[in-house]
Amino acid sequence: MWSAGRGRAAGPALLGVLLALSLPGGRAAKTDAGLVTCGSVLKLLNTQHRVRLHSHDIKYGSGSGQQSVTGVEASDDANSYWRIRGGTEGGCPRGSPVRCGQAVRLTHVLTGKNLHTHHFRSPLSNNQEVSAFGEDGEGDDLDLWTVRCSGQHWEREAAVRFQHVGTSVFLSVTGEQYGSPIRGQHEVHGMASASAHNKWKAMEGIFIKPSPEAPGGHDEL
Amino acid sequence: MAPQNLGTFCLLLLYLIGTVIAGRDFYKILGVPRSASIKDIKKAYRKLALQLHPDRNPDDPRAQEKFQDLGAAYEVLSDSEKRKQYDTYGEEGLKDGHQSSHGDIFSHFFGDFGFMFGGTPRQQDRNIPRGSDIIVDLEVTLEEVYAGNFVEVVRNKPVARQAPGKRKCNCRQEMRTTQLGPGRFQMTQEVVCDECPNVKLVNEERTLEVEIEPGVRDGMEYPFIGEGEPHVDGEPGDLRFRIKVVKHSIFERRGDDLYTNVTISLVESLVGFDMDITHLDGHKVHISRDKITRPGAKLWKKGEGLPNFDNNNIKGSLIITFDVDFPKEQLSEEAREGIKQLLKQRSVQKVYNGLQGY
Repeated sequence: MWSAGRGRAAGPALLGVLLALSLPGGRAAKTDAGLVTCGSVLKLLNTQHRVRLHSHDIKYGSGSGQQSVTGVEASDDANSYWRIRGGTEGGCPRGSPVRCGQAVRLTHVLTGKNLHTHHFRSPLSNNQEVSAFGEDGEGDDLDLWTVRCSGQHWEREAAVRFQHVGTSVFLSVTGEQYGSPIRGQHEVHGMASASAHNKWKAMEGIFIKPSPEAPGGHDEL
Repeated sequence: MAPQNLGTFCLLLLYLIGTVIAGRDFYKILGVPRSASIKDIKKAYRKLALQLHPDRNPDDPRAQEKFQDLGAAYEVLSDSEKRKQYDTYGEEGLKDGHQSSHGDIFSHFFGDFGFMFGGTPRQQDRNIPRGSDIIVDLEVTLEEVYAGNFVEVVRNKPVARQAPGKRKCNCRQEMRTTQLGPGRFQMTQEVVCDECPNVKLVNEERTLEVEIEPGVRDGMEYPFIGEGEPHVDGEPGDLRFRIKVVKHSIFERRGDDLYTNVTISLVESLVGFDMDITHLDGHKVHISRDKITRPGAKLWKKGEGLPNFDNNNIKGSLIITFDVDFPKEQLSEEAREGIKQLLKQRSVQKVYNGLQGY
């Protein structure tokens, strides 16, 4: 049941067929299986610069001094995993597909801090600093990001944007690279306008399949 | 009437004989009734796979065969199309051959590199480098803790695959001594690498089944061996799902016991009442009171708590605490007199230190 080489065009189609065969009542599930759901853990690839959203236990030397968020080229770094969760009021139960326009929090799996931005300047490009903030998954209101995509739900194959709820900036990469001690890592910052620099795609991860009883499991008006 | 009955009896007998000859009884192999839900089937497979794995039964000559039967049974009964065909025509009637080897099905439940025998970790060979482990918090509702469930998950991970050519590996610093002249030597540091077959990382996907066992406790982990991050020079790490039980609006869990609160009216507290509490799986717990119920009174319902993780047949208790809703509006003079007459309770105005148990 392997589906190798996700880059090939046949990949998603073959995967859809395999998933349909492996699931009971496969027909409805075939379309749902390609959606990103709440509770899933994933890596995000910036489609323009080919780096993955990443964080680690290293703080910014300027700006807020909080934990830094960068882009890395490696595909096998466990520090690039982020967990998709809803806001603090709930509304994002495990397995419910994320809707386009829904506000989510991205929690860094290994450090428990949330993707966060605020009115500080980023160190290399002077855009808005993006950091990782909080403790054990709990931070503050500036941890919320709206998923901007076309259609109803966030699809794994789609490139989406993340727009900050509090300051309206888009999560972006424009190519500036750090020196030591994180040589080669790219700066991740917030930018005011939507462009090719702020498109991200779900890559490796642990994707929870939409659960049949979940209220958001099927398209509803 | 008699010949008709005999006729149907004969047909039934022939049909039964037919099904017995026609192939294996997958329901019997899994130990589930014909009406079993997909969840029951997955649960049965997972439990039996651990028991029947040939590595675990080295003395049984039929172990491999039993294990294959188990895999075939799961493959058919877990797929609604194949199950329908099997129910109607038996094993002979299944159109295609087996799609996947049993190894694939087994790894959906337990991961890639073998599995754990009842919780003992696999051998940690210090010489083989290992990729990172990933721990994923899995949110679970009390309903799922009560009845159990399976969560299907797609794991997309980078896998090290052979590529043409060679690459540098095991790079290390070494001291080299070079002779500058007679009796004069220089020590320099040099980076020295070995040559290894080239690998590249390719993304591959598979479905995993995580079981939420009834009675599971917060923090318990379900590992999938080898499903973590890869290591180009060694083995992949593991993927572990950590159970996180979420708050419930009606029930509070303490161990295997469940706690809940019920507000009753003042009238009900004095004259008694009948009510039902809907439990986590929908069944009703009936409460009947004909005595006076004081605020703070507790009612214990044995066997109505959560199943114990180690023995699902033992259940904890449901403890119900009552509080009383007093009337909100002030009572009229008439009502006050009426109540004094009805209750005939003398004035009690006892002053005491309630916080120290007096």
